[in-house]
Amino acid sequence: MWFKDLPIQRKLMTVVMLTSGAVIVLTCSVLLAYEYLTFRQTTVRQLTTLGELIATNSTAALAFDNQDDATEVLSALKADRHIVAAGLYDKHGTLFAKFPAHRRADAFPRTPGPDGYRFEHARLSSVQPVVQGANERLGTLYLESDMEAIYERFRLYGGIVLLVIVGSSLLTYLLSRSLQRRITQPVLALADMARAISDRQDYTVRATKLGEDELGLLTDAFNQMLIKIDEYTKEREQAGARLYAQVGRLDLLNRITHAIGDRQDLPSIFGVILRSLEENLPIDFGCICVFNPFADVLTVTSVGAHSRALATQLHLLEEEQVPIDQNGLARCVSGELVYEPDTRHISFPFPQRLASAGLHALVAAPLLVEEKVFGVLIAARREAESFSSADCEFLKQLSEHVALAAHQAKLHGELQQAYDDLRKTQRTVLQQERLRALGEMASGIAHDINNAISPAALYTESLLEQETHLSERGRDHLVTIQRAIDDVAQTVARMREFYRQREPQLMLAPIDLNRLVRQVIDLTRARWRDVPQQQGIVIDLQVELGSALPTIMGAEGEIRDALTNLIFNAVDAMTEGGTLSIRTCAVTGDGAPAVDEAADMVASAVSVEVGDTGIGMSDETKRRSLEPFFTTKGERGTGLGLAMVYGMVQRHSAEIKIESQLGHGTTVRLTFPISTAQPVSPSIAVPARLAQRLDILIVDDDPRLIQSLRDILEGDGHTVTVAEGGAAGIHCFEQAVKNSHPFSVVITDLGMPYVDGRKVAAAVKAVSPETPVLLLTGWGQRLLAEHDIPQHVDRLLSKPPKLQDLRTALAEVALRTSTFAHK
Amino acid sequence: MWARLILSLALLGLVGGGTPSESRAQSAAQQGPVREYQLKAVFVFHFTQFADWLPGAFADPQAPLVIGILGDNPFGSYLDDAVRGEQVNNRPIVVQHYRKLSDVKACHILFIAQSESDHMRQILDDLRGRNILTVSDADGFAAQGGMIQFLTEKNKIRLRINADAAKAADVTISSKLLRSAEIVTSGRE
Repeated sequence: MWFKDLPIQRKLMTVVMLTSGAVIVLTCSVLLAYEYLTFRQTTVRQLTTLGELIATNSTAALAFDNQDDATEVLSALKADRHIVAAGLYDKHGTLFAKFPAHRRADAFPRTPGPDGYRFEHARLSSVQPVVQGANERLGTLYLESDMEAIYERFRLYGGIVLLVIVGSSLLTYLLSRSLQRRITQPVLALADMARAISDRQDYTVRATKLGEDELGLLTDAFNQMLIKIDEYTKEREQAGARLYAQVGRLDLLNRITHAIGDRQDLPSIFGVILRSLEENLPIDFGCICVFNPFADVLTVTSVGAHSRALATQLHLLEEEQVPIDQNGLARCVSGELVYEPDTRHISFPFPQRLASAGLHALVAAPLLVEEKVFGVLIAARREAESFSSADCEFLKQLSEHVALAAHQAKLHGELQQAYDDLRKTQRTVLQQERLRALGEMASGIAHDINNAISPAALYTESLLEQETHLSERGRDHLVTIQRAIDDVAQTVARMREFYRQREPQLMLAPIDLNRLVRQVIDLTRARWRDVPQQQGIVIDLQVELGSALPTIMGAEGEIRDALTNLIFNAVDAMTEGGTLSIRTCAVTGDGAPAVDEAADMVASAVSVEVGDTGIGMSDETKRRSLEPFFTTKGERGTGLGLAMVYGMVQRHSAEIKIESQLGHGTTVRLTFPISTAQPVSPSIAVPARLAQRLDILIVDDDPRLIQSLRDILEGDGHTVTVAEGGAAGIHCFEQAVKNSHPFSVVITDLGMPYVDGRKVAAAVKAVSPETPVLLLTGWGQRLLAEHDIPQHVDRLLSKPPKLQDLRTALAEVALRTSTFAHK
Repeated sequence: MWARLILSLALLGLVGGGTPSESRAQSAAQQGPVREYQLKAVFVFHFTQFADWLPGAFADPQAPLVIGILGDNPFGSYLDDAVRGEQVNNRPIVVQHYRKLSDVKACHILFIAQSESDHMRQILDDLRGRNILTVSDADGFAAQGGMIQFLTEKNKIRLRINADAAKAADVTISSKLLRSAEIVTSGRE
């Protein structure tokens, strides 16, 4: 099977050589065989002839018994060297003469045997009769010849045959070598080319056709095949390139999608998309616009980082608007992907605008969410007709992803918002619940404090009013005590603000802001001076109070609280000391400070500023600083300080402005409008002391309050009966009615054990509906604020009662009672 | 044929078994005058095959070849035995005995016995010109003009031939016969 793998040249050569060799060998063999046979016959004939000659010549010798003569005749045979032996037998079969003479007689056959010739033992022997005349047999001639002649002949012939074979082989080789070239050369050329092609993978070469025979056909077929392969290869390469590009785009899409997935806000998503497109698709210009269907314009929302220069040139920066023209963009916003291969040929403004900047190919892909176009992705390249259909398809797919991502981002934002709201609400509710509990507690405390300070308030006021010969110093002290008691009362009242659900009913009063500021500075001295000093921190106070400030209308307590809070914040911000500056001034309508007298005349507002040189706030902190419960002070803060300030500002129609810089401090400015309206006087003019004497029943569980009230009222000339506790009060009243000495007024505490003020009032009204009931309560202000004046109560007074209020109330009810009585 | 073979075998047996009667005879075949003539008879018969005569020597194609014996017959019956049944060129062979020369008529081979030795010359002269092959074992026969002379040499019978005489008598003697014989001319010896 080695033959199969031989090169065709060797194969052909082998075939030719084998064929010609076989023919030559066969021919030579036949020739040799023929020669052998004929030569044998010839040899036999020659031997026979020779025998006949010898026989004829030896007749006389035999006939006349002349042995010498016979030997002589036989000796003639020595001329033929192939004759090995000759024997002449007489007619009795006895050896008569022999050749060669020295050959032993017993080397001859004893008797000649039958006539004829035979081949045996590489010898040819013939037996012939020796006859003289017609029938006289004189004896027999025996001749023995070796085959050397034949062999010699064969050697000769063999040599010749060998020469012929060698010669013809050589000739065959040479001839076939030159002839087979005509066959092998094209085949080898084809094979060489095939090898070269498979080595180099170059299918553009072509085989040269050498003739019109089958090899020519083969060459043609081969070339045809090469053309096909070439085409196929090119096609495959193109397909590969397409596939590669597609994979690249898919990869890009994938990367973009991933990048989008990592982001939730639209600007960032758009930025990533545009940058990826610019770098990887690539494009020369890319932007994303949001579609406003009402105005029929596109608003640029995002421009690719590398497109910025072009965008500036094209006026397509963020927030710029693109009117929708009638071709491309209109089609795009109706949901179609629009490809303008050459913007120079489009007469509409937008393509023209791009063309003017050298952007000649444009793709606008709609961003669709739920079949509504909300935006357009615009991609452009400088080279005209540079977007392939694959690019367009890619942009279309991308736009779908973008739209989806945008939609998701929106949903995510909404969800986040909802979640934040929910959390905020939850926190607010929790905080409020806590505050409510705190408030409940504070309310109880307030009640007790109010009760406790009531006698002090009553006596102080009474002293100031009635003791005319008090020293100046004593009067001053009493005034301070009275103010302190008022502050305590107001402070206690404000504690309730913490859990108050509704806007408090503002009790506006004219306020001198400078006075208030001074008050607050005094009140907070401990915080801004004493406490820091203990820690070795020095806070320098700078106060600049504007001269001749117009009064403002406001709730003094709230404003005081607000300023207190601001000062606390300022102090807290200066952990290493600094300057606390407080400033008031009148400002004109446009917010500029009014500096001179003339300006003062036109001042429309008054501002107060609290500044510090502390740590300042970041923008984020500043933005959120007004939110309730937002605090930077950790556990120390409630997050309500500025929120309360803000609430106050809103209730006073004032403005708040916060200026802050991280590391450089914060300044908060409150600007209050100057109200031209006259404040409504909360009280009507009543005589300082009621002339009418009244029979008053006081029901309370606090002996000290009872005592102080009794002292005050009896001092005013009223008749006072006291009852300790609700039950006693009701009993007392019923007794009086029974005894036809009904009380003209009942003053009862609200909160009492077992029988509270409400029950007392109800009982009084049940017996004597005309008798006025004044309810005195530590919760008074709260009830007042909540319009929760219980049934059967004519008037509500809060503790600590002010003498003035008490007298007014008594006067009112007395008036009503007397009016009633007169009727 | 068989008879001849048997005769030949018998002859051989006789030759082999005989004792030499003559001093010269050594070989079995020539150990006595009898066997000698037996051989000579065969020789004479063989002459018929090695000689040719003029066409006129025979009266017709079937005419027999005549062997004549002149003088005392030394052969006994040997010659008759030798030629019995034999033919030469389809001619039968006849043996004739002559007492005197004048008896010799149509004859082709004439054996002249030693009894005629004394007037051998005369006989030969008389025969001159006749187409007859003369044979004798008399001494000096060939020299005297006889054609074939038997002589015994080393116990072997040898032939001496006077080719001139044969030629003169128009008898053609085969060269094969001439080669195995001693050739002489008349007058020599």
